[in-house]
Amino acid sequence: MVEPLAFRSAFAEHLDTGRYGRMEGAPGVRVAFPDLPGMALVLARNGQTPGLVASFGLPEGRKRVVRGARAFIGLGPGQWLATGEAGLAAALAQELAGRASISEQSHGRAVLQLRGPHVRTALAKGVPVDLHPAVFGPGDAAATLVAMISVWLWQVDDAPAYDLAVPRSMAGSFADWLKASAGEFGMEVE
Amino acid sequence: MSRLSKGGLIDRAKSLGFHFDGRALAGCEGDTLASALVANDIRLIGRSFKYHRPRGLVTAGAEEPNGLVELRTGGRREPNTRATTAQLYQGLVAASQNRWPSLNFDLLSINQLFSPLLVAGFYYKTFMWPAALWERLYEPLIRRAAGLGRAAGVEDPDIYEKAFAFCDVLVIGAGPAGLMAAQAAGRAGARVIVAEEDFAFGGRLLGERLEVASLNGAAWAQGILAELGAMPNVTLMPRTSVAGVYDGGTYAAVERVADHMPEPPAFQPRQRLWKIVARQAILATGAIERGIVFGGNDRPGVMMAGAVRTYLNRFAAAPMRRVAVFTSNDSGWQTVADCAAAGLEVVAVIDTRDDLTDLCHALARQACARVFAGGRVLDTHGGRSLERLDIRAGDGSHTTLAVDGLAVSGGWNLNIGLASHLGHKPVWRDDIAAFATGAVPPGMHVAGAAGAGLSLGQCLAQGAAAGVQAALACGHAEKAPPVPPCSEDAAAQTAFWHVAEARTKAFVDLQHDVTATDIEIAHREGFRAVEHLKRYTTLGMATDQGKLSNIPGLAMMAALSGRDIAATGTTVLRPPHNPVALGAFAGHHRGMHFRPVRLSPLHAWSAGLGAQFAEIGAWLRPEFYPQPGEADWFAACVREVETVRSAVGLCDVSTLGKIEVLGPDAGAFLDSVYANTFSTLPVGKVRYGLMLREDGHVMDDGTCARRASDHFIMSTTTANAVKVMQHLEYCHQVIWPDLNVQLASVSEQWAQMALAGPRARSVLRAVVDRAYDLSDAALPYMGYAEVTICGGAPVRLFRISFCGEQAYEIAVAAGYGTALAQALMQTGAAQGIVPYGLEALNVMRIEKGHVTGAELNGQTTAHDIGLGKMVSTKKDFIGRTLARRPGLTDASRPALVGFKPVDKTARLRSGAHFVGQKAEALAINDEGHMTSCCYSPSLGHWIGLGLLRGGMGRIGDVVRAVDPIRGQEHDLIVCSPHFVDPAGERLRG
Repeated sequence: MVEPLAFRSAFAEHLDTGRYGRMEGAPGVRVAFPDLPGMALVLARNGQTPGLVASFGLPEGRKRVVRGARAFIGLGPGQWLATGEAGLAAALAQELAGRASISEQSHGRAVLQLRGPHVRTALAKGVPVDLHPAVFGPGDAAATLVAMISVWLWQVDDAPAYDLAVPRSMAGSFADWLKASAGEFGMEVE
Repeated sequence: MSRLSKGGLIDRAKSLGFHFDGRALAGCEGDTLASALVANDIRLIGRSFKYHRPRGLVTAGAEEPNGLVELRTGGRREPNTRATTAQLYQGLVAASQNRWPSLNFDLLSINQLFSPLLVAGFYYKTFMWPAALWERLYEPLIRRAAGLGRAAGVEDPDIYEKAFAFCDVLVIGAGPAGLMAAQAAGRAGARVIVAEEDFAFGGRLLGERLEVASLNGAAWAQGILAELGAMPNVTLMPRTSVAGVYDGGTYAAVERVADHMPEPPAFQPRQRLWKIVARQAILATGAIERGIVFGGNDRPGVMMAGAVRTYLNRFAAAPMRRVAVFTSNDSGWQTVADCAAAGLEVVAVIDTRDDLTDLCHALARQACARVFAGGRVLDTHGGRSLERLDIRAGDGSHTTLAVDGLAVSGGWNLNIGLASHLGHKPVWRDDIAAFATGAVPPGMHVAGAAGAGLSLGQCLAQGAAAGVQAALACGHAEKAPPVPPCSEDAAAQTAFWHVAEARTKAFVDLQHDVTATDIEIAHREGFRAVEHLKRYTTLGMATDQGKLSNIPGLAMMAALSGRDIAATGTTVLRPPHNPVALGAFAGHHRGMHFRPVRLSPLHAWSAGLGAQFAEIGAWLRPEFYPQPGEADWFAACVREVETVRSAVGLCDVSTLGKIEVLGPDAGAFLDSVYANTFSTLPVGKVRYGLMLREDGHVMDDGTCARRASDHFIMSTTTANAVKVMQHLEYCHQVIWPDLNVQLASVSEQWAQMALAGPRARSVLRAVVDRAYDLSDAALPYMGYAEVTICGGAPVRLFRISFCGEQAYEIAVAAGYGTALAQALMQTGAAQGIVPYGLEALNVMRIEKGHVTGAELNGQTTAHDIGLGKMVSTKKDFIGRTLARRPGLTDASRPALVGFKPVDKTARLRSGAHFVGQKAEALAINDEGHMTSCCYSPSLGHWIGLGLLRGGMGRIGDVVRAVDPIRGQEHDLIVCSPHFVDPAGERLRG
């Protein structure tokens, strides 16, 4: 009688598929929505950070490590964002029982992936972090503010592609900033 | 036309049409607005600030005090634009400022006749009485008479943006020193940004007849630019003015992206405000020529000697035909040579020095110019333009010269304002008769003229050295590039400020009309410190921030007060170095983008039902859901309340703060931050919690559920969600770091909705998967459960009620929020379900006597709001000690009660104050105030909550609610704040 619940993207109506800004030429920035069914915060219990880094392979500092389908992104001392399979929070709670507290965040952040020839120029209009390849590359991550919006970002590959995780409630305002900032290069939402 | 037939860095083949004060004119590609006006023989550019005197161009650079125009029209109109920095484009429209009705015939120049009234301090002295006339008469009159350009007054149609850049070495200024520095640092492999405020790189190499490496200066600069442009590690930023220096190697810069076009190209900003983080910076901002204060030195036709050279050499535009040069140093003599070379008639050279070099005499002979060694220009004459000069020769004889132009050089001030932005004071150096940098901000190098290397050879050498040094500091070692040979130019200078014998007005600050007399008045009246001098006379307070006037002004004050300049000192310069448009500061954040808007996961659902939204902090929250035929919010609100009380309603409560408190010490931590106890809360239960501030007042309230022994889910009010999270982080990190507790905000993760009303359970039953028991026994009031819904979606279920009915708060992962709300509306349709908003929620909480922000106003205690019994006496917690202060435990403090009007038709207003029935409505009789009120559909009349002296002990009393602002008074009966279901049977039912 009752249908299963349909998922609604935080970017729905804010960043629909299509071309934005300059229409001529190839888009300077491409937007995709990576499939990250599970996200959770991993919060080290007191005194457990060194052990988690050593035995579980969590990164130190503002780094991202990929382990199979999962990735861990350092957000601050003893704090990581984990991404991976559906049900990730429950799985991690078991695997790290007694060593870390886990908070379910699969829907707390809306994640988009940016790439394209002008991605760095566009990001420079809001990201107060040096993304120059000599300084920031795949495996680097940052927790920062973009247009007054908290953003967790990490570089995925050398293309370069960056993932940006923004608070779900501010996805619309973030999309407004992105459209304004990437408009001059032409932006394609896939 | 005053355009020279050859030379200059303009493209005569590309003519650009433009308008000044409605006149159609033409310039060339490569012109500034100023040089195009010069080429068109336009000498009168504006009227002065206070006296409305005719004014013309004085400089050719960013320091220009007079040549301010309104650029463009309509929403793009930009006042006070320096014509000297505005790059000419086809179709440019500019208008002169501060004249009425026209530039040539200005009625307010009559102000000059009243000039004795308008001297320093006139503001403070003249309009003393009656004070009431200030706002209505004096201010408006003064504002109309004095002033600069007009703001556009309508919205700017263009966009502005911000951007961040990072580099090893930021080179500020691309003259000979900056170009050498950039070349050296770039070749060493450093990441270099070169910021140049001009649209062309080269600085004075563009405006002087100088040679570098056997090329003319501009050609040499082109070669360096080509090399820099090919380096991937070098970024060239033309039209970019560094405006401020901040801590940690942070620099603000404004890039005028599209100011040289009629309109920005689509999707491009007009301007971009850069925040540049540089490990090292090279200040290569050159020097600014200073004037000499003499009578009538503001008359159009009096121009800086270096500016005359720039107009001749760079722009091939002659600002004058019959020229005299008034100088105190050798650099002024370069103008003699350049004027002669351009075919101008050089009538005379007046040099304040008695002994002149052979070179000077040779130049004079070549130019056929008379020489007045030890001479002075006393006064100028002419109508709206210079016609004659009064000269006193070295032997004391007086001469009058007929000229149409006077080139003036008082030497050069180092352009080092940026070096003082972090508080480092410039120091006076007698050897160069100028202020130079002393200590500079960390990581800053000063090179070239800014670094007191005034000759071209010094500029090139210092620039190269600074570039190498800065690159080395960033770990890039490389030998300095060879310093090319170059022209010798004169660099020695002497201090000469003021021709004291002048009989007519002698201007120190051209933009603010501050005269030599004003400096004397300030001295006479005791405003002698440079800071006092500035504020009393407004010297240096105009848009040019005294780039020309500050140092002559303080030098004259030094002379008057018998001190030397070093002892007199100078004011510290602060950002911005040059004016910055407010639009650049705002960037993307204007209108609805002023700050991020937060949208609930149910926003689209509410919007689809036609909700009216209210801005609550950053959130948009549904206020009510009007239905066809409802006259106003009131009708919708009453219907929503009645439906919830009689059937069932659904309300979006996603915006409330949600914080997970995790870890083995979570219970102990909560005991410390809440006034009541949480460690004893069983798993699967919810408790209402009250949080106090350290000072004993209530900070916030909410519920807290226990999910597991080491997992609590706290809720906060929407308004305090961030504050409470910060508070908890502080408590954990600073006060109790040993408690093994972890905190996570989950406000964004969950869509949360309240399903409330006598039929709530039956609606919920229809969507919760069959395996779960929702009976009162399984999930009683204040119970917590985790169930699945709609075939497997996990939800967190809180049996809590804010409205006083049987109610559940359902939390589902945010992406499923809209779908769940739709499912509940669908299954509840048969039960008569309605969505309800903040208005209905507020009415129902008042009916139940629940407090919100109106009562938790930062001044109330737990006792004041009727929750004194919740405060634990068995444990320590934040706020415990100070809550026991006598002032906070005083039994007579106003405390929460309810109110009903004696006249049941009365409409109550929150904010009304209570006085005794017979007492006069005076503050001394004040007994408290109404915090919240509403029309109660359940009772059929208005009700209120308020804080009343004596609190619950006053039940049954009649008090008067006085609202002097709205002119209302009502008699009220004091009652319990629990208007509906005081025993709480409905919420347990």
